[in-house]
Amino acid sequence: MIKLIDTCKVGDKMRLYDKIFKIPWPYWVGGVLLAALNILLFMTTGRPWKISTGFLHWSTCFLHKIGIDPYNWHYFNSYNNIQNEISFYNYYTILIFGIILGSLIATLLSSEFSLKKIKNKRQLFFGFLGGILMGYGTRLSFGCNIGAFFSAIPSMSLHGWVFGIFMFVGAWIGSKILIKYIL
Amino acid sequence: MAEVKLDCMHEACPIPLLKANKKLNNMKVGDILILETNHSCSIVNVVEWAKKQGYNVDYIEVGEGEWEIYIEKTK
Repeated sequence: MIKLIDTCKVGDKMRLYDKIFKIPWPYWVGGVLLAALNILLFMTTGRPWKISTGFLHWSTCFLHKIGIDPYNWHYFNSYNNIQNEISFYNYYTILIFGIILGSLIATLLSSEFSLKKIKNKRQLFFGFLGGILMGYGTRLSFGCNIGAFFSAIPSMSLHGWVFGIFMFVGAWIGSKILIKYIL
Repeated sequence: MAEVKLDCMHEACPIPLLKANKKLNNMKVGDILILETNHSCSIVNVVEWAKKQGYNVDYIEVGEGEWEIYIEKTK
């Protein structure tokens, strides 16, 4: 039996600070907190939590600034509810920076801040590939796993369930590919 | 009783768990796998997974935000 003496794990000597900030919280605590915060956000702003739509706003504004006009694209003309509210400083920008700031505070409190290196070219390549696929997918489904799944299901929207089912199918296929070809 | 080091630094979920699984499959009973990681999720999901497999498992923080997870292959 392996037994290591870890300063954070010596039973009753474990400091309250370590318990709160150092040891990762169980998944159910995260789940309850996320649900409560999303309800609070929806109550106060009338909109549920979304992330990737914020990136759409940023990149669309960026393209517009450098002289490309994405507003004429089929995507934006088909769904004018998106076009009307595009701006760099938007609802999502605050939330995205809030997430980064919150994560930074949590990381600093647990003294785990470090700049993670890119391990190798393969990790970089698959990172980019995964990012592009995810980004493309979020635009087809009007949201990522936050907007189109996490926030859609409590809104009693059917599309959240459809998204959820196919997200699991995708994750299953992705894992198979990962194990067989990438690992 | 061999000790095998597995470098999972700078790698995110689920890579450390999958790498550990692959490595453990090629190890003998009684061998110990030392998984090095700086991904805080790993000290939850790799440890939980190893416990579920019935392996002896523990971890230690070797530096700020860097851990070594010890998994003993028991069967």
